[in-house]
Parts: sequence; C-alpha cells; structure tokens
Amino acid sequence: MDIPILSLLLLFPLIGAVVTFLMGKNPKMAKISALVFSAIPLVLSLFMLTEYVQTAGGYQFEESFSWIETLGIQYMLGVDGISVPMVFLSTLLVFLAVIFSWDTDHRTHQYMALLLVLELGVLGVFMALDYFLFYIFWEVVLIPMYFLISVWGGPRRSYAAIKFFIYTHIASLAMLLGIFALYFEAESINGYYSFSMQEINAVSPLFGLTFQIVVFGALFFGFAVKMPSFPFHTWLPDAHVEAPTAGSVLLAGLLLKMGSYGIIRVALPALPDGAHEWQWVMVILAILSIVYGAIMCIGQKDLKKMVAYSSISHMGIVMLGFATFTEIGLAAGVFQMFSHGLITAVLFMMCGVVQHKAGTRNIPRLGGLAAKMPFAATFMMIGFLASLGLPGMVGFVPEFSVFTATFDAFGWLLLIPVCSVALTAAYYIWAMQRTLFGPLTTQVDTEHLHDLYWFETLPLAVLSGLIILFGMFPALVLDYIRPAVGTVLGLLGGI
Amino acid sequence: MDYSAIYPEIILALFAIALPAVNLLVEDSKFLAGVSLAGVGLSMLAVFMHFYDGVGPAVFDNGLLVLDDFSGLFMMVFLSVAFIVILASAKFIEGEKHAAEYYCLILLATVGMLLVAASTDLFVLYVGIEITSISSYALVAFRKKDIRGTEAATKYFIFGGLSSAFTLFGISLIYGITGTTSFEEVGALVGTLDAYKEMLWLALVMVIVGFGFKVAMVPFHSWAPDVYEGAPTTITAMLAAGSKKMGFVAMFKFFLVAMLAIKADWEIVVAVLAILTMTVGNLAALNQTSIKRMLAYSSIAQAGYILIAVAVGTEFAVTGGIFHILTHAFMKGGAFIVVATLATVAIGEKIADYKGLAKRSNFMAFSMTVLLFSLAGIPPLAGFASKVVLFSSPIQSGVAGAEWMIWLSVAGIINSAISLYYYARVVKYMYVDELEEDAPSEKLKLPKSMMAAVAICVVAVIGIGVFPEFFIQLCRDAATALFA
Repeated sequence: MDIPILSLLLLFPLIGAVVTFLMGKNPKMAKISALVFSAIPLVLSLFMLTEYVQTAGGYQFEESFSWIETLGIQYMLGVDGISVPMVFLSTLLVFLAVIFSWDTDHRTHQYMALLLVLELGVLGVFMALDYFLFYIFWEVVLIPMYFLISVWGGPRRSYAAIKFFIYTHIASLAMLLGIFALYFEAESINGYYSFSMQEINAVSPLFGLTFQIVVFGALFFGFAVKMPSFPFHTWLPDAHVEAPTAGSVLLAGLLLKMGSYGIIRVALPALPDGAHEWQWVMVILAILSIVYGAIMCIGQKDLKKMVAYSSISHMGIVMLGFATFTEIGLAAGVFQMFSHGLITAVLFMMCGVVQHKAGTRNIPRLGGLAAKMPFAATFMMIGFLASLGLPGMVGFVPEFSVFTATFDAFGWLLLIPVCSVALTAAYYIWAMQRTLFGPLTTQVDTEHLHDLYWFETLPLAVLSGLIILFGMFPALVLDYIRPAVGTVLGLLGGI
Repeated sequence: MDYSAIYPEIILALFAIALPAVNLLVEDSKFLAGVSLAGVGLSMLAVFMHFYDGVGPAVFDNGLLVLDDFSGLFMMVFLSVAFIVILASAKFIEGEKHAAEYYCLILLATVGMLLVAASTDLFVLYVGIEITSISSYALVAFRKKDIRGTEAATKYFIFGGLSSAFTLFGISLIYGITGTTSFEEVGALVGTLDAYKEMLWLALVMVIVGFGFKVAMVPFHSWAPDVYEGAPTTITAMLAAGSKKMGFVAMFKFFLVAMLAIKADWEIVVAVLAILTMTVGNLAALNQTSIKRMLAYSSIAQAGYILIAVAVGTEFAVTGGIFHILTHAFMKGGAFIVVATLATVAIGEKIADYKGLAKRSNFMAFSMTVLLFSLAGIPPLAGFASKVVLFSSPIQSGVAGAEWMIWLSVAGIINSAISLYYYARVVKYMYVDELEEDAPSEKLKLPKSMMAAVAICVVAVIGIGVFPEFFIQLCRDAATALFA
C-alpha cells in the first residue's frame, strides 16, 4: 500500500468543498461538483474495504507525521474494524445526501459545500489516532451542521441551531478537559508529551482510580451529549425537526455515531478502571434512553420528531451494548451504530418526502398515502420494519445480540429494555397505519401528490438494498468489527 | 555604550519626530502613512537583524534596557500591530486634519510599548507606559468634534491617570523597601523582607490596581467598553491589540521576575481576578448590540485568559500567555479593522447592521468569521492553538501539587463555550440572515489598503493555527528569556 488512502479520503471532500463553494454562479455545476467530490471518497472507501485485512487486527493504512512537536501532537490516521464500517457509512451517506438534495435551489453551492465540509470532519473523527486531531475534527463537524440547520432549516431553525451548537460545544469542551488530563497523566508515566491514542492507551491501566473515575466522567459526558443519551438529549428533537432533510440524515446517521464512537474509541480504552466504576451509570442511562425514547415516540404527532426520538432509543441500545463490556455487546453496539445509520437515513429521507409532497408531517392529518405514492410507501415500510428490528433486516441482529449480551451480563434486568421492542413495534406500526393506509386524507391537497422523483428513489433504493443485504448476511460487517472489538476488550482488562 | 539594543526605539522615535516636519513639505496624508510604515518596517528590520546576527541579548546602559528573546518577540508583536493599524488608517482618516500628528502619536505610542518590552527596571517600565498612555489619550480624542470620542478620551485620561498614580505609588513603596528599582534586584530581595511584609502587600495591591486598569482587569475594567466604542476604530484596534498587551508585559515582568519569590502570597488573588475577569467579560458581551462594545468586552474576557499565565507562573504557562497575546493581537486587531473598514462604506457599528453582509462582501464576511471563530477558539485557527497551550498550563502545574489551579482551566474552557454564543451570533447575522427589505444590497467597494490589513490578520490567524509549532517555539524562547 503506497497511496495514503486515508489522507485522500480527507483531501477530496476538502477540495470539493472549496470548488463547490466557488460555483456560486452556477447551481447546476455546484451540484455536479459536489456529486463528483462525494463519489470519490465513496470509491476510495470501497477500495479500502477490499484492501483491509480483516484478520490482521490493529490499525491499518496508518499515516503519521509530526505536526506540533513541542506538544507531542501528530497528524496520525489509521482505521481498525470499528472505524472501517463508520468510514464507509460516512462516505455513503454523504454521497446519497447530495443526490437526495438535488432539488435544492436556495444557495445551492453553499449547501453542497457544507455537506462536504461535514464529511471531512466526520471522516477525520473516525480516522484520527491522535487525541488532539480527534478533537479538531470533532469541532470541525459543528460548524457546517450549525449552518445547515440555521440557513436551510424550518421555522424555528435559529433556536434549534443555537441549541445544538451550545449543547454539543459544551460537551466537547468537557471532553477536551478530559483529553488534557489524559495527556498530562500519561506524561507523568511515560516521561514525554504525546497525544497519540495508542501511546496513552498503552499506559492507561497505570492511571490512578480516582483520576480514572473523574476523567471518565468528563469524557463520558462529552460523548453522551453527542449520542445523545437521556437526560442530555433535548437538543436532538429540536435540531432534527428544524434541520433540512439531508442535514437530518447526516445528523442522525453520522453525528450521533461520533458520540458512541468516542465511547468505544476513547473513553473505554483510555480509562478502563473508570469505565468499570461507571458501568452502572452507563447501563441505567442506556435503559432510560431506550425506554424514554420509545415512550416519547408514541406520543409524537410530527413524523420527524417521532423518528428523532426513535434515534434516542436506538442509540441507547448502542450504549447498552457497550456497557456490558462483553465481546458480543461491544461488537453488537458497533454493528447497531452502522445499521442505525442506514435505517435512520431512510426514515429521515421519507420524512422529507412526506413533508415535500403532502406539505405536512403531521401524522393525524395524513392517511392513505400508499394509494397515491406506492413507491414511497414501500420504502417507508422497509425503513419502519427495519427500525423495529424485523428479522432479515439489518436492525435485527445487533438489537438481538445486545439483548443477549445484556442477559448474560445483568440477567433479568433485560426485562426493562426489552419492553421497548414492543413499544417500538407499536409506534411504528401505528404511525404506518395512520400515514400510509386507511382512507385517503382530506386534510391535505392530495390531488397533486406525486410519487418519488429519481433523485429520491435512487438513495432510498440503495439504502433499502443494503438494509436487506446486511440483514441477510450480517457477517459482512461483523467480520470487520469483531477482531477490533477484541482489542478494546483486552484494554478493558476483559474477560 | 552599546546602542544596538535600542535601535528599534531610536528609529521609531526619529520617524515620529520627523513626521510633523515632513508634513510641512508634503500634505498628502497617504504619503505620511507611507513614511510611518517605512519607520515601522525599518524598526522591525532592526529587531530582525539583531536576531539574524545571533549575537545573543543586547544590553543598553548597564541593563536598563535589554533586547533579548522576550523583548524581541514583543517588539515584533507591537510593531506588527502598529503596521496593521497604520496601513488601515491611511484610508480611514483620509481627508481629516492633523494626519501628521495622528501618525506621530501612533509611532510614539509604539515607542513606549517597545520600551516596556525592553525594560528591566521599574522606572523605565513606568516611563514606557506613560509614553504610550499619553499618546493614546490624544489619539482617542483625535476626532475632537465627535462627542463620543471626546467623552471616551476624557474617561480614558482620568482612569489612566489614576492608574498611573497607583502604579507609581506602588513602585515608590517598593523602592523604599528594597532600595532598588531593578526587577532582578527586587526579585532577589523580596523573599527576605518579612519585616516589611505589610508594606510590600500594600505596594502589591497598588501595582495590581494600576496594572489592572491598564489591562482592563475586573473590577477595573469599566472604562474599556466606553473608550473602545468612542475611539476611532483603528485606534481601538491599537488599544486592544497593542497597548493593552503592554500592560501584560509589565505584569509578566513585575509579578514573574520581581515578585516571584513571594508568589504564594499573590497567586490566588490573581487567579480569582483572572476567573472574574473572563466571566464578567463574557457575560457582559452576551447582550451587547454594538459590535465595538461586544469586542471590547470580549477583550476583557481575553485578558482574563491571559491572566491565567500570570497566576500559574510556570515557564509553560508564560509560553501560553505570550502565545495568546500574539494571536490575540491579530484576531482582535483584525476584527476591529474589519469594523473600521466597513465603517468607511457606511455600515454601522450595530451588530444588526451586519445582517446579510456575506451578500455584499464575501471577503469581509469570511474574514470576520475567521477572526471571530479564532477568538472563540475553534480549531484549526490561531486562537485555538494558543488557548490550548494556555489552558493546559494549569493542569500541567496542577499535577505538580497546586490542584486548585485546574479550576483555572475549567473556568477558561467554560468561558470559551459561553463566548462562542456571541461570536457565532455575528457570524449568523452575516451569513444566515437576509438583508433588510429597504437596505442597500449592492456589492461593497472597499478600500484596498484596509483590505490588505485585514488580509494580513486573517492569513496570520490561519497560518499560526495550522502551523503553530514555530510560534510556540518563539514564545517558549521568550518565556525562557523572561525567567533567565
């Protein structure tokens, strides 16, 4: 391997963002430029998937350059089995989001450029092997998302964007403090300054217990807000409801994953003893998120808000998987991140479609849409069924595995989160009934209901295909994840 | 006597004196600006040549003034600020009377800053501060028909005079106790003066109050927003980026050289004041409607951050402090010059006047965004790099025993989060909000020289942010020289 594939993955969105931004006079060219520059990373990531050696474990495609020597900061990239699916997911979703936004006509070049900047940040987070670099990319993600919501969002976009910004910024500052603590603590053991994840994690078992508990708290807070976990979730429904469709897709599909990725990449390996002390907090917050999210879904009238709350519930499952500290739990958690990324993209795209065609997302005002929009209805059902964990679709395996791991680890405590399965089925099927089936609604103008356009069908079809493909053959993903999870488990002093 | 240590000051002073004479021959204010720029440039060259020769520190008059890594770096910072301010002024004060005096005073103010940077003696330091202050009073009142400017100048003068009196009183007490005004000699004696402890504390309080006014430290900050708002905006840039930083140089020298031996007595006071300053500054900035006042309060907050370096007092912390002073000079100076530039094309000083600015001038909106995000500490910009060094210093020294210092980092980081709100608000106005219905919407024609000044700041902010290593080394050398 000679080409620096990971750097190229970062480089193309960056160039693409600049090029697209300069296409201000010609929206059509801006769209094509964004399409090309989001397709290249997708191809690169597919190439990476084939080149990645699943059995080898550890980090691959590593690149490392000294950046700020005085502080021991490196430009250091690498991927392992946890990040590989995330990198693929990121490139895929951004590419599809660009296609899906084909009819954007308001400040198109800026919109597309922001999507690419977002891709740059998210990919950076998933590939950075230096805590400092990790933090920088983490912050880079904030800015495009803030603008996506505040310029192209719904009526209360200003409030939602600021709330999103402040919540996640405060969280990331807590995380930054935690990272600094790690940095200095590792220095006192190693004798030299370094932000390298591997070097800090290598000495993490030597950190004092009090230190670990405190610092894990800071890091966990940072990641839990991003995930988001109950009770730090309140920014999410607002942000989602106001965000434009592509923004929602990337917010739920990628940004939330950064939180859970941070837990498994940073918090657990760097502070294993702290993690053990915090295990019950993680479990309780996870269960609360799962159940609370599901209950909130039932009461929602806004389709998009319902999907947003379902994200909280499903990210709770990720956290529950992590909190078991078992191989199955961790692997299933990572798999759930991946599967939720695919499914939630379909769901948010469908919310966008419904809003766009019917002019409202208010569930009670809808009904019988399946008759007018058969294709849209099919994709929506695929999304709903996958999300509620129907066997054969990608949501089932991780959810089931997490519950298995939970039972192994905590026994009958499983009964509480498992209730959510019934709740989830209830709200999805009920929502499906009220929007897609039954008599055609008279409350909205259904005369001009138009089924999907090509730029809507294509992303939905790709995603639905992948949902079924990975549902049938979960090993396609799990084979990447499992060896890497073993490494994390080893650092956790695992079983 | 070895004059090479004071070449920069001499050059600048000569140009300052020559300017009114040149004015008798040439009336063109642009030409005067060019002459001043040449003076600043030559002075920079003198500093640069000294380090290029690599002969080590140069000493003047038995060590009253020293040109070493510390003073050299600050001279470069002050001269850069002067350069940018003069470059922007050429257009900003075009057509106004007394241009020669204006540039002359800017150069003299800069001479004072250079003297402060080079001083190793309390009295020289005091003289340097006074040269800068008195020049600044006159500069703030430059538009003497402008009511706000005159009010600001009066306020500045009264507060400034008072603070000078406090400083002088403190210095005289110290002289009375120790019999010397040299920082090093005071530093050597100060730990052995238990009999005069009360007197020393009184002196310390006096000096803290005096310097506190200069750097706009809470609770001595109230003059700053009024003065920053009332002064001509280019001068505001100089006050915020230059003369305020001079106060920090004075503080570094006074606290970390002269008073280092009794650090345990004052560090907690400075730490509390640092937290107060950053918090009050940021909270007050939140609901300002005038962009100049907002930036003024943000300046106060940034002063709070830099005070962390004084409170922690390790070499690493001072590195961070110096680094932040350096980056802040470009970020804040640049931001004020953006305001000044826009004022020349009739865009007001209300934050709301910036609505839809991106449509009218992409360059200005982008520059302001970079500068404000850098002030907020968003990576990978300069303000982030310097805050990282600065905020990590208490954690580093905290590991060594003073655990409470970690709260300085916590406060700094929380404050950065708060500050993001008001910086992002301006960015939102510029990019997100549409132009008002009846507002003019044509593209802005901006003066080239001012855009150049802004561009220098933006390039510096991005460049330092992406390649901070070199600058951190410079600041570290400077910190080492301070403690040497």
